[in-house]
Amino acid sequence: MYEFTTMGWLRHAIFHPIEGFEDLRWKKQGSLKVAFGIVVLLFIALVARRQLTGFAFNGSYTKIFNVVPLLVNSVVYFFTWVIANWSVCTLLDGEGRLKQICINSAYSLVPFIVGTFLATLISNVMVLDEAIWVNAVYYLGIGWSVILMFQAMKAVHQYTVPKTIFSILLTLIVMLLILFLAILLLSLFQQVYVFIYSIYTEISYRIRG
Amino acid sequence: MKKALKRAVSLCAALVCLASAMITASASEPYYSYSYDNWDDAIPAQAGYKVEDTYTGHDIGLDKLRDPLDPLYVGINASVELNGPKDLFFESTKQEFWIADTKNSRILRLNKDLQLIGCYTGVYGAPSGTYNFNEPQGVFVVNSDDGKLYMYVGDTQNSRVVQCEVTSATECECALEVTKPDSPIYTYNTFLPEKILVDIAGNIYAVCTSVNSGSAQFNNLGEFQGFYGANRVELTGEIIRRRIWRVFASDEQLKSITSAAPVEYKNFDIDAEGFIYTVTEAANASTDAVKKLNAAGYNIWNNDAGNEYTFADSGANTYDASTNTTYTTRLTDIDIDDYGFINILDYVTGRVFVYDEFCELITIFGTSNTNSDQKGSFTGPNALECAFGNVYIIDGIKNDITVYSTTLYGEYLKQAVQLYDEGKYVEAKPLWQEVLDRNGTCTFAQMGLGKACLSEGEYKDAMEYFKDAYSRKNYDKAFKYYREQWLQDNFIWLFILIALLLVLFVVLSVLKKKGIIKKRVRKQKKQVERKKTKKELEHEAQLAAEAAEEAAKEAAENAASQETNETDEKGEDKNV
Repeated sequence: MYEFTTMGWLRHAIFHPIEGFEDLRWKKQGSLKVAFGIVVLLFIALVARRQLTGFAFNGSYTKIFNVVPLLVNSVVYFFTWVIANWSVCTLLDGEGRLKQICINSAYSLVPFIVGTFLATLISNVMVLDEAIWVNAVYYLGIGWSVILMFQAMKAVHQYTVPKTIFSILLTLIVMLLILFLAILLLSLFQQVYVFIYSIYTEISYRIRG
Repeated sequence: MKKALKRAVSLCAALVCLASAMITASASEPYYSYSYDNWDDAIPAQAGYKVEDTYTGHDIGLDKLRDPLDPLYVGINASVELNGPKDLFFESTKQEFWIADTKNSRILRLNKDLQLIGCYTGVYGAPSGTYNFNEPQGVFVVNSDDGKLYMYVGDTQNSRVVQCEVTSATECECALEVTKPDSPIYTYNTFLPEKILVDIAGNIYAVCTSVNSGSAQFNNLGEFQGFYGANRVELTGEIIRRRIWRVFASDEQLKSITSAAPVEYKNFDIDAEGFIYTVTEAANASTDAVKKLNAAGYNIWNNDAGNEYTFADSGANTYDASTNTTYTTRLTDIDIDDYGFINILDYVTGRVFVYDEFCELITIFGTSNTNSDQKGSFTGPNALECAFGNVYIIDGIKNDITVYSTTLYGEYLKQAVQLYDEGKYVEAKPLWQEVLDRNGTCTFAQMGLGKACLSEGEYKDAMEYFKDAYSRKNYDKAFKYYREQWLQDNFIWLFILIALLLVLFVVLSVLKKKGIIKKRVRKQKKQVERKKTKKELEHEAQLAAEAAEEAAKEAAENAASQETNETDEKGEDKNV
């Protein structure tokens, strides 16, 4: 049927929202390396949007540049999504494997990344009166990505439409749960660390007399 | 030997003392001056005002009141100190200061050098028969066109407002006495006028204690006209909760719900154009903290832009790192100076915030004496007045008057802002440059220079200035013009470039059609090489095995048939 290069398959998936991911699945295509590359690009896109958007369009607090929120917004959210989706859909008879979910999710993010880069670029030559174009490009990217994500999840798990919606909603809830537990664990470990550290200082003081 | 050592030590100590005294003598203002940037972050700034001097009762010549030989003699027991003064007023035509010396129940009149020239302890001929003032908290003076000098006193504990015609340095005649209104609109039990204000038409406005419907307004005949300019209720979670609860509550429950009342404004001032500015003293008031009222009592800042105006220190409870305390703001007095700038006094922090007429922060100065009890710090700042480019602040606990005078930086800044507000951006340019030389982080200066560049057509520079000022809207405007200019300047080149590209395209397509240039043949895509999965491998192996088997079978069959053929051939050969 189709024979493409790795990037060719990516293009095929993005420009064929209905059939693309099905083909990807049946042809057992998609590269994990490309997927990770896309996640890195997502992070870079967020950084670019914050730092390089035209001055008139950029409302961010530019005095401090903190990369952590951007990292969380891109990389952490992505992998939480993948893990949450995998754990939910394993229980809901989904056929997708972790690797496939990761690849499909990453592939469907490409329009958003492209849209963000484009919006960032044209915001440097636009004035606020023409903001609609910048917004249009940006939201077009988001919308396209949402559609692709839906199709990707549908294809990878071989779900019907209602079941896909249900699984995605459940995934979002599980994402919250995972992040909540992660924060809980983090603060718990911090306390353990503080506890051990205080014991260490106590003992070291005793030893010194 | 010991003596010598002692001497040496004491000499050293003396030197150290001297040195430290010299150091303190060279110290600057008793506070860190700061300003707010576009994100409402406090940033260090130059001081716009510096402490000129403080005047106690002795300094302003209150001793005269005890001197029987002096025309101002009141009595041998007259207080020679101010005692809890609540109000300070500057009368601009005669250039005189008036003080409501509240706890001493008298009004003091000072000349422009803050020397006593009059003292009034009461008013003759009041219809109520009361002569003495009783803790007056407000004073307002009008020098009328017919040459008469009228003093309006908010005689708080006597529950009256009196209009007195000043006849001499110690005496005044009652012209009008306003007591508690009889009107059914006035539903309050008390009438304790605190602050008094009189407009051009002679209407009297009185801010009264615990009256939250606005200030009581009287016409020039003393008739009650109604309330003027009430604050709105601040929308808090409690108010919203009550509003929702009201929908479900039964009639009896409704009765028990207290209705929400707005906080009253504490003080006001009138500007040259007759607009009345009010300040609300309630802690951290955010709704209607400062208002600009028109004659009808409506806040003319009450619009989308106006509600975004912030005054005084931003943030509800502000933390002060130097004293490790959290404080609230209480705006206690407001004054509009000759430039039309709004000066607001914060009672808690002792800071004065100066804004231009569009509520852009100009400078902040002053401090409470929690940090340092020295000149220029306040314990109970009650009122401020602006005159001669100075700011006079009266302290009701320290009982003195502090004079802050404008620094050179402040002078440049104020003049520049004034020109800026008039729209004379280019004229203000050298002044802004001076400001910027002294304070590089002054966003106002960046804005001013930006606008100057914009009106001079230097869009590129304007963009830079607006970027530094972080004014996105103005940057956008400058950028729009800059882009237009750029397109106009480079139009020929752009046109040529586009034309060339078009020609090239057309020529190429024509040449292709005629076959002079061969159409580019797309390279055959490379066959994908990828690892085969285990199953596939197995499958392939199986296929291969099957194929091999079949091949073997075929071969065997072939061999068998060939044998027969061969034998046939052989036979044929033999036959041949």
